[in-house]
Amino acid sequence: MAGIYIHIPFCIKKCAYCDFISFADKAECFAKSYCDALKKEIEHYAPKMKRYLFDTVFIGGGTPSVIDESLIKDVLDSVKKHFSIATDAEITIETNPGTLNEQKLSVYKQAGINRLSIGVQSADDEVLNAIGRIHTFEEAKNSFYLARKCGFDNINIDIMYALPKQSLSSYTATLNKIIELSPEHISAYSLILEEGTELYEMCNSKKVKLPSEDEEFQMHKCTITLLQKAGYERYEISNYAKSGFQCRHNLNYWQSGEYLGLGVAAHSAVRLEKMLERWSNTACLDNYISAPQKEETHEVISKEDEIFEFVMLSLRKTNGFALTEFKERFACEFLEKYGEKAETLQKKGWLCISDEWLKLTDKGLDMQNEALIELLY
Amino acid sequence: MAYSRDLIRNFSIIAHIDHGKSTLADRMMELTDTVALRDMENQLLDTMDIERERGITIKSTAVRMFYKHTDGKTYMFNLIDTPGHVDFTYEVSRSLAACEGAVLVVDATQGIEAQTLANVYLAIDNSLEILPVINKIDLPSAQPEHAIKEIEDVIGIPAEKAPLISAKNGTNVEEVLAQIVDVIPPPEGDETKPLQALIFDSIYDNFKGAVSYVRVKDGTVKAGTRIRFMATGKEFEVTEVGVFTPSPKPTDSLSAGEVGYIAASIKSVADTKVGDTITTAANGAKEPLPGYKQANPMVFCGIYPADGAYYENLRDALEKLVLNDAALSFEPETSLALGFGFRCGFLGLLHMEIIQERLEREFDLDLVTTAPSVIYKVKRTDGEEILLDNPSNMPPVTEIEYMEEPMVEAHIMTPSEYVGTIMELCQEKRGVFIDMTYIEETRVNIKYELPLNEIIYDFFDQLKSRSRGYASFDYELKKYQKSDLVKLDFLLNGDMCDALSTIVHRDKSYSKGRAVAEKLQEVIPRQQFEIPIQAAIGGKIIARETVRAVRKDVLAKCYGGDITRKKKLLEKQKEGKKRMRQVGTVSVPSEAFMSVLRIN
Repeated sequence: MAGIYIHIPFCIKKCAYCDFISFADKAECFAKSYCDALKKEIEHYAPKMKRYLFDTVFIGGGTPSVIDESLIKDVLDSVKKHFSIATDAEITIETNPGTLNEQKLSVYKQAGINRLSIGVQSADDEVLNAIGRIHTFEEAKNSFYLARKCGFDNINIDIMYALPKQSLSSYTATLNKIIELSPEHISAYSLILEEGTELYEMCNSKKVKLPSEDEEFQMHKCTITLLQKAGYERYEISNYAKSGFQCRHNLNYWQSGEYLGLGVAAHSAVRLEKMLERWSNTACLDNYISAPQKEETHEVISKEDEIFEFVMLSLRKTNGFALTEFKERFACEFLEKYGEKAETLQKKGWLCISDEWLKLTDKGLDMQNEALIELLY
Repeated sequence: MAYSRDLIRNFSIIAHIDHGKSTLADRMMELTDTVALRDMENQLLDTMDIERERGITIKSTAVRMFYKHTDGKTYMFNLIDTPGHVDFTYEVSRSLAACEGAVLVVDATQGIEAQTLANVYLAIDNSLEILPVINKIDLPSAQPEHAIKEIEDVIGIPAEKAPLISAKNGTNVEEVLAQIVDVIPPPEGDETKPLQALIFDSIYDNFKGAVSYVRVKDGTVKAGTRIRFMATGKEFEVTEVGVFTPSPKPTDSLSAGEVGYIAASIKSVADTKVGDTITTAANGAKEPLPGYKQANPMVFCGIYPADGAYYENLRDALEKLVLNDAALSFEPETSLALGFGFRCGFLGLLHMEIIQERLEREFDLDLVTTAPSVIYKVKRTDGEEILLDNPSNMPPVTEIEYMEEPMVEAHIMTPSEYVGTIMELCQEKRGVFIDMTYIEETRVNIKYELPLNEIIYDFFDQLKSRSRGYASFDYELKKYQKSDLVKLDFLLNGDMCDALSTIVHRDKSYSKGRAVAEKLQEVIPRQQFEIPIQAAIGGKIIARETVRAVRKDVLAKCYGGDITRKKKLLEKQKEGKKRMRQVGTVSVPSEAFMSVLRIN
């Protein structure tokens, strides 16, 4: 498995909780030259990635849907021209309600995009406003219907919980309204309050109050119960899908697959020689546009670190990892290395070890950080 | 050839924190070309980072300047910079004893503060001539006439000729220099008499050993002289004498009236005690100079390395600090909760904070400190009296006849509008009112007798916040007094945590127990199980709080670009866990041990 990630760092407005690399109000001036830079970067990597057949392409952001659809098509055309993309590849674009129209969606379709991710976040307009979203739920719903109308039959909806102004009942209402829309995939993230964001400052200065830890936990439990009842399977800590609609691109990350990241601040992990190498691009728009092929950081991942990352990532999935896969990758038995600690976790009811698989229980998933620390350090 | 005594002026500067002492000293050095402009750095005399940051002087220093007066003669000025905090009163008194005069700097916007007054009285006790100076006249809120009147009313010295200056802008600093010559008398003394040199401070130098900062009262000292320290009786051969320019500069000799340093390959400042008199080994002075006192620590706390593996590093660091600070004491102790560490003694709270900060900064140590304690006297039923500086060592109640605690006399100066709230504070702290005098219509000097153990917690902070920063205070140890004291213990998930134990007055034990338990509930992070926190006296539980179990600890998102970051987060979380102390089953963060201090 291998994937391509393309970062589009433009937004109409920065959301209060967002700490991704994204620039508000710059799309108009820079979108064209940015996409030209992306094409240069694609050409730069083309010869190095000859042996790869990519299964997924993910256009993320920012808000990729704010820039002109023809630019997206251009970039995708270039990707297809320079890399081998599987015929049944999953090609996703992230969009925001309020930035979509029929024209745009049909160009996406023509460009080969077959999966849409819509950032709805909440069905409560008061909550949407509190986190600085530019749309109402009504608009989000309309975007969803429009996408359906344009033939998108694989749609993800992002929602968030533990948000300001959000009560448990407001959140369950959101869950129910999303379930009613019946998207194929739902990502439900609990808010991560990141330093440096507007929301962080507002919480610090007590202008905004977040739900308590207990409320957050209730919301979390509610998510699992309601979505599972509605036929969505939880396959990762925050991700739920109808059968056959798991996000292949993201699964690739959690399965320690290889990926090529293109664009500002994008990260890549590719086994160029024997060792896994990871590099990242600059987070500065100007620098990227003037030298898109330049790496900002580059590290060779040691085998120990690779093991660490493999466990850290695959234990995010509800099905964990196969012990045989571990052995194939690292040429050692997981249980020989970590058996004692794994057993302690198993006794605690956090870890489930069968003959073939190792996975975290629901309780273990809730405490994944602790579980990893106890297991790996 | 010794400088003519008539042309020498030895003085110090007395000022409250932030009233501009160090700035004035800087200007003086500039005007006398003592320091080349290119070497000017604000607050030259305060060389420690902590001194510069906090705007306080911790160690005494001295500087020699040459000033050309309007009478055409060139005068030698020795400025002795003194510490400015109640913890260091004794050091201040010795520095003052090395001078003939003191420049009293009063902030034209603030007036006199308790600290200043205490030091002025010290100066007057040492028969110093006081030269008042009104500073900060450039500020819009300056009231120089008011400050002058206050000096005259409160201290009772004439101040109409006080130079009105702005040390910051350099306004009128020249006038201060001129008045130093005119007002402050030259030193007396006789270089033919036996040597008597007063140590007003000492520092440890890696190359020269313990160096004494001295004022020579009589006689002469030079390299090669065999000297005797009169308090300790120890003898050494002088390797170097010199003066402060302000950096040390060797000279041929130091004679009566002069200020400088003496180095004699001495291993520790414990041998060069502040206040001691240096004389010659042969034909020395019969009597030492008056006023020598052993500086005794009044406040104690446990200092432990955050990571037990750094115990040796901590010991090395303390040993180095003690070389330079005779007032600091330490001895090994062990705690069930904290492992191996040291019980350290300090002159006061500020001294304690400074040492902790220096250990962390200069020696890069991560520390856990326990709540400070004073020395209690415990009379045991078997008649034995013990001095108790660590609550964990308190004998069982059944073996105690009675206990005594140290009492201080505190002087608080405050604008009269805060008298009510300050008296309330003193009452809360078990204070006994002694006296109150109006210094002027709007300013009051309040005298209280207070238990020292009430002052070492948050008294100073409370005083400042209740008076909006206007009240200042000063205290001195008065006596020991019988008191109904109890040991307050804390249990975490049923296990006693010795490092949290504290001795309190019985009347305060319930409220304190509750408050600390609440605070612990805040600072102890949720863990995988519920943690009861209990406060207990003897076997009796007097308060209980609960830390709820954590139920969710997971990163909501982790994609390609996040992996490195998330790994670092886990690493940090693990480090945080490692830094916590294990008390039975409970992980306790370092700050919890100080939480006994910081309660409302």
